Amino acid sequence: MFSSIAEVTQALLKQQYIASDEIATVVFLAEHMGKPILAEGPAGVGKTELAKAWAGATGRELIRLQCYEGLDESKALYEWEYAKQMLYTQLLRDKLNQVMAEARSLAEAADALAKEENVFFSRRFLLPRPLLRAIMSERPVVLLIDEIDRADAEFEAFLLEILSDFQVSVPELGTIKATHQPMVVLTSNNTRELSEALKRRALYLFVDYPSFESELKIVRMRVPNLVPEVARQCVEIVQKLREMDLKKSPSVAETVDWAKALVAINAKHLDEKTLNDTLTVILKHESDVLRARRALMGGRRGMETGIR
Amino acid sequence: MDERVIEFIAALRSAGVRISIAESADALRAIQTVGVIDRERFKTALKATLVKEPADVPAFERCFPMYFGHEGPPMQAPQGLSPEQQQQLQRAIEQLRQQLQDLMRMLAQGQQPTREQMQRYAQRAGFSRNMRGGRQLQEWLTERMLREMGLTPEQLKEALEALMKQLKQQGMSAEGREEVRQTVQGNAESLREQVARFVGQSLIQQANESPRRQRIDDLMNRPLSSLSESEADELRNHVRRLVARLRSRAALRMRRGKHGHLDAKGTIRHNLRNMGVPMELKLKRRRLKPKITMIVDVSTSMRPVAEFMLRMMYEMQDQVSKARSFAFISDIHEVSMVFAENRPQEAVEIVLQTLPPGHYNTDLGNSLNTFCQSFADAVDHRTTLIIVGDGRNNFNDPRLDLMQALKARARRVLWFNPEPPYQWGTGDSDMLAYVPFCDAVHQVATLKQLADAIDHLFQHR
Repeated sequence: MFSSIAEVTQALLKQQYIASDEIATVVFLAEHMGKPILAEGPAGVGKTELAKAWAGATGRELIRLQCYEGLDESKALYEWEYAKQMLYTQLLRDKLNQVMAEARSLAEAADALAKEENVFFSRRFLLPRPLLRAIMSERPVVLLIDEIDRADAEFEAFLLEILSDFQVSVPELGTIKATHQPMVVLTSNNTRELSEALKRRALYLFVDYPSFESELKIVRMRVPNLVPEVARQCVEIVQKLREMDLKKSPSVAETVDWAKALVAINAKHLDEKTLNDTLTVILKHESDVLRARRALMGGRRGMETGIR
Repeated sequence: MDERVIEFIAALRSAGVRISIAESADALRAIQTVGVIDRERFKTALKATLVKEPADVPAFERCFPMYFGHEGPPMQAPQGLSPEQQQQLQRAIEQLRQQLQDLMRMLAQGQQPTREQMQRYAQRAGFSRNMRGGRQLQEWLTERMLREMGLTPEQLKEALEALMKQLKQQGMSAEGREEVRQTVQGNAESLREQVARFVGQSLIQQANESPRRQRIDDLMNRPLSSLSESEADELRNHVRRLVARLRSRAALRMRRGKHGHLDAKGTIRHNLRNMGVPMELKLKRRRLKPKITMIVDVSTSMRPVAEFMLRMMYEMQDQVSKARSFAFISDIHEVSMVFAENRPQEAVEIVLQTLPPGHYNTDLGNSLNTFCQSFADAVDHRTTLIIVGDGRNNFNDPRLDLMQALKARARRVLWFNPEPPYQWGTGDSDMLAYVPFCDAVHQVATLKQLADAIDHLFQHR
C-alpha cells in the first residue's frame, strides 16, 4: 500500500511508466478506496500499460481479460471441464460400478451415485477464467479488463455484480469470495457509451495523449540509445501528426516503436529520406502516409528555403 | 469542508452533470484520503469521483474555482508605514467623500469586505434573486458591480489622486505615499478578482435553486420547435442518452433471442468430444435482425423539428445494422451514406443543406413514387418502415396506391407526426388518408413522445 502520491509516481517510474500527477492521484485513491479505475481515452496512450505498471509496482500478479463482442460468462468467469469429467467417469467406471453394485433398484443406484456427485463438481473440474482466477487468487492481483467497450452491454451488467461484491456464486460449489480484493483497471477506447451504473462504481480517469515534454521523457526512457536530437524531432513530428486529421493518429506505443526503428537503422539525424522510409512505422493507412508526407515534406522544404 | 463539497456537487448537478449519491459519498471519502493541502490533487480526487464523462469536464473546470478558489487573493495592509504615517492615512481617508471612504478603507488599509457589504453592492448593481444566466451575464454583472464600488480603472485613478492629495496635506512623506499607492493598486486587483468570483458563485447558487430535474421534464414536454439554442443542446444530449438506453434494450432482446429451439445436429456435432453424450446443448439461435427504413420530411413545415428527427435517424442507423435513411421534400434522396460517413452534427447539417426548403413544394406522392421505383429494395418483409412527416402534401396526389403496396411489402409501417391528431386532415393534410395504411401512428412533437414511440418500436413486433 502506498503512503503518499509521490510514492506512487516513484513506484510507477521504476516500472518505466511516467505517470502524470492526475494518474498517480487516481491510482492512490483506487488503492485506498478499493474502487476500480475506469480509464478512457484514445487507443495507445498507455491505459493497458498503466495496469501492467501498477501490478509491477505493487508486486501483484496481473490477470488480464480481453473483451470482445460476444464475450460471455463461460469465457470470462468459469466453465466446467466436460472433457475431463468425461475422462474421469470412463477411467473410474469400475469404481463406479462397485459403488452401485449393492443397489437393488434403479432409484437406489441413482441415490448412491448422487452421493458421489460432488466429486465431479469439485474445484478439480472447474476451469477458472480470468474473473474467477482474480477472485480465487491466493495472492493479491491486479485485474485488467481491457477494452470493455467492445463487450456487449449485458456483459457489462454482469460485471457490475462482480465489481461491487467481489464474489461469485457457482451453483454446485456455493459462493466464492475474494481473499484479497483485486485492484481493477477497466479500459475503454470510447467506441460506445458505457452504462452509467458502471461509471458510477469506478473512479474515472481520462488519459489523453501526453504533452511534448512527457512524451519526450517516455521516448528517452524506453529508447535510451536514440540520439537526443533525433528523439526530440521524432516526438515533435508525432505531436504534429496528431493535430492532423488522420484516419488513425499515432499512439505513444508507436512513437516508441519508431524510436526503436530509428535506433535499428542507426539514424544520426532525421532527414527526409529516413523520414520517408520509416513513416510507415507510425502511420498504418496508405492515405495517412501520403497525407503526412505531403504536409511534413512540404513544410520542411518551405522551412529550408525560408532559412536560405 | 464537507458542506462546501456538497454545495459544489449541487452546483455541478445544476450545470448538467449527473452525480449519484454514491458518487458524492465517494468524493468525500476520496478527499479524506488525499487531503486538502494540495489543491491540484484535491481537484483530481473530486474529478475522478464525480465526473465520468469527458463532456462534463468543462462544467467541472468552470465550477471548481468558484467553490474552491480562495475567495480571491487576500488583501493586504500597507507594509512599512510608521504608526504616525498610519494615523495620517486614517485622517486622510476621513477627509474623503463617503463613498470613497468605504473604498479606501478596503484598498488602503486592507479591510476585507464582508459578505453583507458585497451583497449590498451587488444589489445596487442590479443583481436580483431570480437572475439566471451564463458567462455573459456574469461578466456584465461584474462590470456593473465594479462600477458601483468605484473600481473601474478611471474611477480608481481619480480616487487615488484624491487620496494622494489628502495625504500630502496630512504631510506624509513621498516614500510613504508611494507605499500607499502600491498597496492600493495591488488590493484593487485582488478586490476585482473577489468581485468576479462573488458574482459567479451567486449565479451558480441561484441556478441550484431551480431544480434541474424539473427542467428536463419540462424540456421533455416542450414542443421541439420552440426551444432555445442551449435548451436544444441539452435535448440533443438527452436524445443521445435515450438512444443509449435503446441500445441496451436492443441487446436485451438479442439475449432473449438466444433461448431458441434445440439444434439437434449442432448438439451431436459439438458433443462428439464427450463421446456423444449430450452434455452441452446447442440451441438454434433466433437472430433478431431488425431492418429499419426511415423516410423523413424536411420541408418548410417540418424544419423546426427536422433536425431532431434527422438526429434520431442518425442514432438509429448507428444502432441497427440494417437501417437506411431517406429524406424528401419534393423528391426523395437517400441519406444513409451521409450518415455513415459524417459525425452527427455535420451529417444533419449536410442533409439540411442538400435539401433546401422551397415554397409549397412538398410532394410525398412523387417521393413515394421515386422511392418505389429506385429504392424498392429498401423495403422487404423484415423491414419496419418509419415515415416521419406531417402529411401536408400541398394538395398533390397522395399516391395511396403506393402506400398500400408498401404496407403489403413491409413488416410494419409506422408514422411519426409532429402535429396533434385534431389537425390531421385539415387544410392540405392528407394524414387521415394515410392512417389506414399504417400499423401505428404516433404523435411526436416532444422528446417524451419520441421516446415513447421509440420504446414501442422494440417492444411489440
